[in-house]
Amino acid sequence: MTFPKMRAIWSTPLRLTAILVLIFILSSAVSFATAYFVIRATFDTTLQDEITQKIAVYQAIENQDDLVGRLADDAAATNPELLILQYLPDSGKAISNVRHFPPISGFAIIPERAIDHSKRDISESYLARSVRVGRGQLIVAQTRNQIIEMGEIMLSVVLIGLLPTLLFASVAGAFVARGARRKIKVIQTTLADFTGGQMAARVPVATGDVDDLSDISKAVNTMATSQEALIASMRQVSADIAHDLKTPIQRVAVILDQISEKTELSEGQEVLLARARDETDRIVKTFQSLLQLAQLEGGAVRDRLDPTDLHRVTTDVCEFLEAEAEDQGYTLHLNVSGDGPFTVKGDRQLLSQVIANLIQNALRHTPVGSCIDVSLSRSGNQITLCVADNGPGVPEDERDKVLQRLYRMEKSRTTDGNGLGLSLVSAICALHDAELILSDNHPGLQVQMNFSK
Amino acid sequence: MKILVIEDDKTTGAYISDGLREEGHSVDLIPNGSDGLIQASVGQYDILIVDRMLPGIDGVSLVKTLRGTKNRTPVLFLTSLGGVDDRIEGLNAGGDDYLVKPFAFGELSARIAALGRRPQMQDEPSTLNAADLEMNLLTRKVTRAGQPIDLLPREFALLEHLLRRKGRVQTRTMLMEAVWDIHYDPMTNVVDTHISRLRGKVDKPFDKELIETVRGSGYRIEA
Repeated sequence: MTFPKMRAIWSTPLRLTAILVLIFILSSAVSFATAYFVIRATFDTTLQDEITQKIAVYQAIENQDDLVGRLADDAAATNPELLILQYLPDSGKAISNVRHFPPISGFAIIPERAIDHSKRDISESYLARSVRVGRGQLIVAQTRNQIIEMGEIMLSVVLIGLLPTLLFASVAGAFVARGARRKIKVIQTTLADFTGGQMAARVPVATGDVDDLSDISKAVNTMATSQEALIASMRQVSADIAHDLKTPIQRVAVILDQISEKTELSEGQEVLLARARDETDRIVKTFQSLLQLAQLEGGAVRDRLDPTDLHRVTTDVCEFLEAEAEDQGYTLHLNVSGDGPFTVKGDRQLLSQVIANLIQNALRHTPVGSCIDVSLSRSGNQITLCVADNGPGVPEDERDKVLQRLYRMEKSRTTDGNGLGLSLVSAICALHDAELILSDNHPGLQVQMNFSK
Repeated sequence: MKILVIEDDKTTGAYISDGLREEGHSVDLIPNGSDGLIQASVGQYDILIVDRMLPGIDGVSLVKTLRGTKNRTPVLFLTSLGGVDDRIEGLNAGGDDYLVKPFAFGELSARIAALGRRPQMQDEPSTLNAADLEMNLLTRKVTRAGQPIDLLPREFALLEHLLRRKGRVQTRTMLMEAVWDIHYDPMTNVVDTHISRLRGKVDKPFDKELIETVRGSGYRIEA
């Protein structure tokens, strides 16, 4: 069992929407990131050129004193927020517009925190170059603020552009998904109805619809129509066969009746005749069960289900069959536990027939002296009817098979019955939406029917 | 009684009409629905026996049409191997009883007798009698030759049913339907068991047997 809530959330259209949104986010992120890095690289190159040019100016001054003088003037006039100049001559006082710049070699990116700037405002990051000029080491560091600002601007562009798109895509996706889910729901309901025996169930399709779900709906309808026709023709054929066979069987029964009523027979003939009548009786009963099964599976009886007191039905059947069970040497017990009402939506005759069938089954397939326990209980909204015996039971691998029509276990081939009893039980349970469970009674067979309100 | 049989199968039709004639009824046999409807409307019959499946007009439509003309003649439907649905459809259409084919003649005969003598609306008797047996419906006490007999509720109902139809055969299916409200074939002779238990209380301790077995049909209490 999966979580139904999760399943509803992860419907196909919604999942597709989520995947598309995710792909959109990823592709946007990749393209913006690429653009950012390319632009940043260009900026850095430009910055490097500027720094090199500035250094070249100082390198052009040949006199050391001129150089120191020029640097001191420049450092005093330069705002360290834009440009930091630091000259460490081999001898003499250091010139700088910040207190201390860390030593580097070649080009380097230096963050604000690495620089001792004595509370003057400086930039977050600098591109710096250290070169030997004259008789000292010169560092020129240019602010990278533009690059950082550009990154921030690009991020806001991305966010401002992406967020409404995402919001719009999600809402529109959810909306489309809801529409699609509604259509899928209709298809699911129709299929469930169809499986439940409503052969006329169809998916409503508007003539203008051309999407794939409408195509599926149309395909489902086509399948339903051909199934319906197929089943109708099968029903017709079996009804025809039943009708064609019924008449001769009926005649045989009539003739057998006439023989016993109108002619003098020896005792041996009477016995044989009685056996022949029993056999025709059996054929008739098998036919009756087969036709009833067809009728039940056709689902037409569904309209006739009314609130029925299962307690009353069970009591009546047990009372009816108890005399026979007792005479044959069996014990039949009815045990009702829990408070009523035991009302289920059902057909009194069919429910009665289910219980009678199960009791007959137990009488037929368990040795004389066995106990048959019928119990009725209720917990919450579920009413459970149970018929259990302490006979030989049904092996686990045969439990599904005994519900199939005309199936008979090897050891019960010699006993009475036509292998339709449990199929009828199964069909009647299905009609009442009751869950049918065959289990081991340790020893014996337990047949449990769960009716939910 | 004057009986009209509308049945298309020759063998069944002849079987029914011959049997009923032997029992002293006057029988007309019509093999199709449309002629049957005309005959049923013109002739004054006590009972109509109508097959569900007929050429021309089917049985259910025939009876519906007939009931539409205020014809109230009791109708016994013959249904072929039918399920619960057929029975209900037949009874809804205005049929009074139904019989599933194939049937023993005794069953048909018993049902015809029951239909022919549908209880008239009359004063409800407070006691039912047969020979020296007396059943008081108010106190729900049963005595035979002055001795009280203890009956379980369902045994009481069974005896009451037989006493109310004194002299008429009640088949096993009729008893099952009336006393236990079971309208399907329970694949058992359990009615015999119940009768034999009832006999154990009502007949066995006394000289004369009141509940009589009618061979091939069912049970009866002599009038």
